[in-house]
Amino acid sequence: MTSLAAAARRAAPVFACIGLLAAWQVASLALKNDSFPTAIEAIRAIPDILGDKESLINILASLRRMAIGFAIAVLVSIPLGLLMGRSRAVAAFFNPLLMVIYPVPKAALMPIIMLWLGVGDITKTLVIFLGVSLPVIYHSFEGAKAVEEKMLWSGAAMGLSSVQRLVRIVLPAALPEILTGCRTGLVLALITMITSEMIARQSGAGNILFNALDMGQYDTVFAMIIIVGAMGICLDAIFERVRARLVRWSEPQFDMPLSFS
Amino acid sequence: MKVVPSRSNEWVGPVTSQRPASAIIEIDRVSQVFQTSARKDHLALSDISLTIEEGAFVSILGPSGCGKSTLLYIVGGFVSPTSGGAKMKGKTITGPGPDRGPVFQEFALFPWKTVLGNVMYGPRQQGVRPTEAEVQSRALIEMVGLKGYENFYPKELSGGMKQRVALARTLAYHPEVLLMDEPFGALDAHTRTRLQNDLLNIWERDRKTVLFVTHSVDEAVFLSDKVVMMSKSPGRIRQVIDIDLPRPRRRNELLLDPRYQKYVVDIERMFDEVDDPGSRS
Repeated sequence: MTSLAAAARRAAPVFACIGLLAAWQVASLALKNDSFPTAIEAIRAIPDILGDKESLINILASLRRMAIGFAIAVLVSIPLGLLMGRSRAVAAFFNPLLMVIYPVPKAALMPIIMLWLGVGDITKTLVIFLGVSLPVIYHSFEGAKAVEEKMLWSGAAMGLSSVQRLVRIVLPAALPEILTGCRTGLVLALITMITSEMIARQSGAGNILFNALDMGQYDTVFAMIIIVGAMGICLDAIFERVRARLVRWSEPQFDMPLSFS
Repeated sequence: MKVVPSRSNEWVGPVTSQRPASAIIEIDRVSQVFQTSARKDHLALSDISLTIEEGAFVSILGPSGCGKSTLLYIVGGFVSPTSGGAKMKGKTITGPGPDRGPVFQEFALFPWKTVLGNVMYGPRQQGVRPTEAEVQSRALIEMVGLKGYENFYPKELSGGMKQRVALARTLAYHPEVLLMDEPFGALDAHTRTRLQNDLLNIWERDRKTVLFVTHSVDEAVFLSDKVVMMSKSPGRIRQVIDIDLPRPRRRNELLLDPRYQKYVVDIERMFDEVDDPGSRS
């Protein structure tokens, strides 16, 4: 029984993907629209993209910018969020600033940033950085705020200085929450990566997509959408593995049995 | 049926609660004012002076809201009093330090560390070498009855077990004073009794000074040399009662002892007086 349930659980995502593709196929056949290729046509176009050296270089350049933007954002945002969570003065200073930046679509800032820094890597990486920072800051802030006072007192009694308490108690205690923010940030990094390349059309995965759109190569457009989606799924799966490993101590021990299983 | 206490010589231990002792903690005219939400000042502690002798087990007893935990936090250095001050061995307390080890009702264990990791944390921070810290910590874990659980994470333990770990973690860095803040308050009655017994056994071995906050009268009488009865609004010391019961104390014997019973009844009556809003002037 349990092995059957486990097998079903493992197969479920595969069924979901097949179901989605099947629905796409049917919808496309029914609509008979030139700008809406069938799933099979789109999938057929994937090897052409991945086989092309130039496209591959473009996609890797995108991923590189994304990785750099994400890494810098995480390295800056976690300490800032933790400090905000533990110091009212720091929170009072940064909160209004972040509240102004939060609702602004980061891509909307791109024209201005392009004006200052050009259309190159720096601009795009900066936009990715901005996109990733806010959720990571927010979750680090919330995580740090929620750290039990008595835990910090226990550390203080052992002789930990305030900096040591921040690094050795607040950081690990808030880690589950921080990683939730990083996971959101990772997806946002992918989204801002594509949008930045859509605005600053020069290179990258987004550029391939929109060039194809301009030229009416709709199978390539949809193939790129599949590739970007797959990258998102892979990155998220890798991140989820790392996350689960880092915060094993906080996860519930057993899967909660669902009421219908 | 009338309970007739036995008067056999099993009570006469080599150690009694009257021992020559010197002051280790001096609390001098401490007052604590908290600002409530309505910008009104709330006097949590009013003019508290108390001397705690080295090696004594002192309980602070009182209804909730009498500031007994706050008083403990002031001694711990976690909270600064609004006026007055506390001294540890003649030195004014300005902050937390490893000479005063807290044990909280909330356990406050480090959830990302195993049982062993939690207990080793203090000694490692104090610069004890890892191998040595591990040997000491394993011995402490065994002493609190958790041998075999060294590699468990706190989330895998029951409340009673967590509090045992918390006690071992604090004992591991050898504080001179244990500050226990309703440590058994979150536990069920049975677990509570067992932990009281075990704490007493551990304490009777090395006689550390203990400041123990509780709102349970029998817990205070059972464990303490001295019970400090507090009243609330504002928090004041109502009376200090010496508990003149011989040690080592055994629960099954003590419960039958009329002296113990009288302490409990008297202090409970006093408790009702301080807790009854009608009796306040």
